[in-house]
Amino acid sequence: MAPLHRQPGCVSSALLVPVLSLATPPWLGLDGVPPAWAVLWLLPWALVDGPVSGAVAGIALGLVLDGLSLGGASQIPALLLLGWWWGRLGRRPPSIQRTLNLGLLAWIGSLAVGLSLLLQLLIQRGWTLDPWMSGWGWQTLLCQALVTALLAPMLVSMQLLLWRKRGTS
Amino acid sequence: MGASLWPGNGRWRVLGRVAPWLALLLGLLMVRLSKGAGFADAYALLSRPFWPGPAQREWISSAASLEDQARLSLLEQDNQRLRDLLELQRTGGADSTVAAAVISRQPRGWWQQLELGKGSLNGISVADAVLGPGGLVGRVQSVTPTTARVRLLTAPGSEVGVWLPRSRRHGLLVGLGTHRPQLRFIDKDLDVRAGDLVSTSPASTLLPPNVPVGVIQSVDERAVPAPRAVVHLIAAPEAIDWVQVRID
Repeated sequence: MAPLHRQPGCVSSALLVPVLSLATPPWLGLDGVPPAWAVLWLLPWALVDGPVSGAVAGIALGLVLDGLSLGGASQIPALLLLGWWWGRLGRRPPSIQRTLNLGLLAWIGSLAVGLSLLLQLLIQRGWTLDPWMSGWGWQTLLCQALVTALLAPMLVSMQLLLWRKRGTS
Repeated sequence: MGASLWPGNGRWRVLGRVAPWLALLLGLLMVRLSKGAGFADAYALLSRPFWPGPAQREWISSAASLEDQARLSLLEQDNQRLRDLLELQRTGGADSTVAAAVISRQPRGWWQQLELGKGSLNGISVADAVLGPGGLVGRVQSVTPTTARVRLLTAPGSEVGVWLPRSRRHGLLVGLGTHRPQLRFIDKDLDVRAGDLVSTSPASTLLPPNVPVGVIQSVDERAVPAPRAVVHLIAAPEAIDWVQVRID
């Protein structure tokens, strides 16, 4: 079984994450908030390829996405931890493949990324957030988590099928 | 036997295996530090066939005459005399503009930004003002050779000094993530009401003077320590395909 990180085709699929992050059409979001593409790519990758590969992929995606955003808060810590955690889950039997489980994991992942960003905003502003900004933060977090969880059963299932097949062939 | 003679051989093999991944991580770190330079430029190149057509550009040109009328009335009232006294170098006509297509738009979400299809090769630099049809949209936050990233006025952390021509007051326009930024004042006693025009300061050196920004939607006079207002932006970033960048 060849690990995914040794297959250039699988590794290069990660390029879709920054491209989709830049080119998400408004209709694909919820109230204009786009899905967490990094979560949708990282979840199947870590489940198939393990904790170390998941954590490294999380760091790599975080570096690129931080480079493409305005800055101020980083996605790296959340993606690193999620990659590790999902990698460990993928190593335990029975293998995760039910659409509900995948949707739930993506929902948790998107919430974790959003909470880490919100926490960083809170720290940067001295532990006080304007009520308007706080409302915006929670709305963005929930919208992103919901739209990511809705897309996950379709997209993550497909990636899992494809990558498990490639991994075993 | 050879392996036992060279106890470090195993380590070198491991290093040889890990080296490409370390190089990849180093490359990604470079991308992070350069604010996504390679990725943003590649995206601009790949998405060029799908860039918005010239229709909105012409619309911007015609809208510019309306904007000019608004600016003219402001200019008649503003403190030209003060600017002369201060010997400020910036005047409305001295700035040149670059029209740029919006190649990526994120008006909502955690980062509220636009990606423009022109960059430092076209003279755009950090902190240049970006204008949409009707008024100010934001400021350039980072540039690559062929792209520029714009921090929208609505983005958390965005702070722009503005001016209320009717009441002749200064305020600070603060982005809170919501699509209506907040206007904060220093003085307590204000003559500000809904419907007042908000523009850039006539004496501004960071932004072009007298550019319309928005209209006051509501005022919270009981806010502590000073009144606050909610501003409806004139140029909505959700619908903008082309912008004009004021370059020095």
